[in-house]
Amino acid sequence: MEAVLNGDCSSHASADSISLHDFSEKFLEQRVYFHLMKLSGGFFLWVGTATNPLISNLAVSILSRTDSAPLSTLVLGDTSDTTASALAQRLTKKTKKQVFVSYNLPVTDSNLLLLVENRIKQEMELHPDKF
Amino acid sequence: MAPQPVIRSKQAEKTINGNQTQVVCTEFSNYIFIVLTQYGKIGTLVSITPDTRSGDISVPMYTSKVLLGKDEPLTHVYAKNVATFVSQESGNRPILLGLSLKDNSAETMKTVKDMIKSCQVW
Repeated sequence: MEAVLNGDCSSHASADSISLHDFSEKFLEQRVYFHLMKLSGGFFLWVGTATNPLISNLAVSILSRTDSAPLSTLVLGDTSDTTASALAQRLTKKTKKQVFVSYNLPVTDSNLLLLVENRIKQEMELHPDKF
Repeated sequence: MAPQPVIRSKQAEKTINGNQTQVVCTEFSNYIFIVLTQYGKIGTLVSITPDTRSGDISVPMYTSKVLLGKDEPLTHVYAKNVATFVSQESGNRPILLGLSLKDNSAETMKTVKDMIKSCQVW
């Protein structure tokens, strides 16, 4: 049995193994961390800071059979905050995959959300195999 | 560019009765997130929370809740069986469990619990 720490699993992972990937970026004097888990047909993405790495919400999104807009819902956290489910929906739209998102940054800062989203898209281009 | 990751995660893989079984344990400050799968997916998502009222008296009671997926009695039984020991060992932290197994037998459950133990992040 093998236990691997933080994503360095490429050496022995078979094709459909769950893979982990971490990256981070400094926005407006604040370092934002991304933790990614690639699953079969989708991925789980956590966005947050180092000071308190919690899961304050969790949204899930899938493609709709009847609608061009993906279906998205919040399964954990404050349902009045739509940031996580909107982000999951946009990531599903882009990747055509099932997406889980936990967004743990101040939601008052919409500019930050834009930067975060662009960084995710940049990582998708840099490491398409991780998503 | 990136310094140390802030999220600690460990994973294990094993074939049980011909089924490729994967476990990923991830530590967040308010939850321990466990993915237990033979499909490579999160599947049914269950939260297992210790009841606060029990305080320091022996073993607490647990409340399981299906957040996503089919809410069947067996899901609650299975979730509590594989995840409560993690909560106990981690000072009564809540667990988030993604469960998607092809084989729900008791022998498999014993093996997956050992796999979860090998991925200790708490």
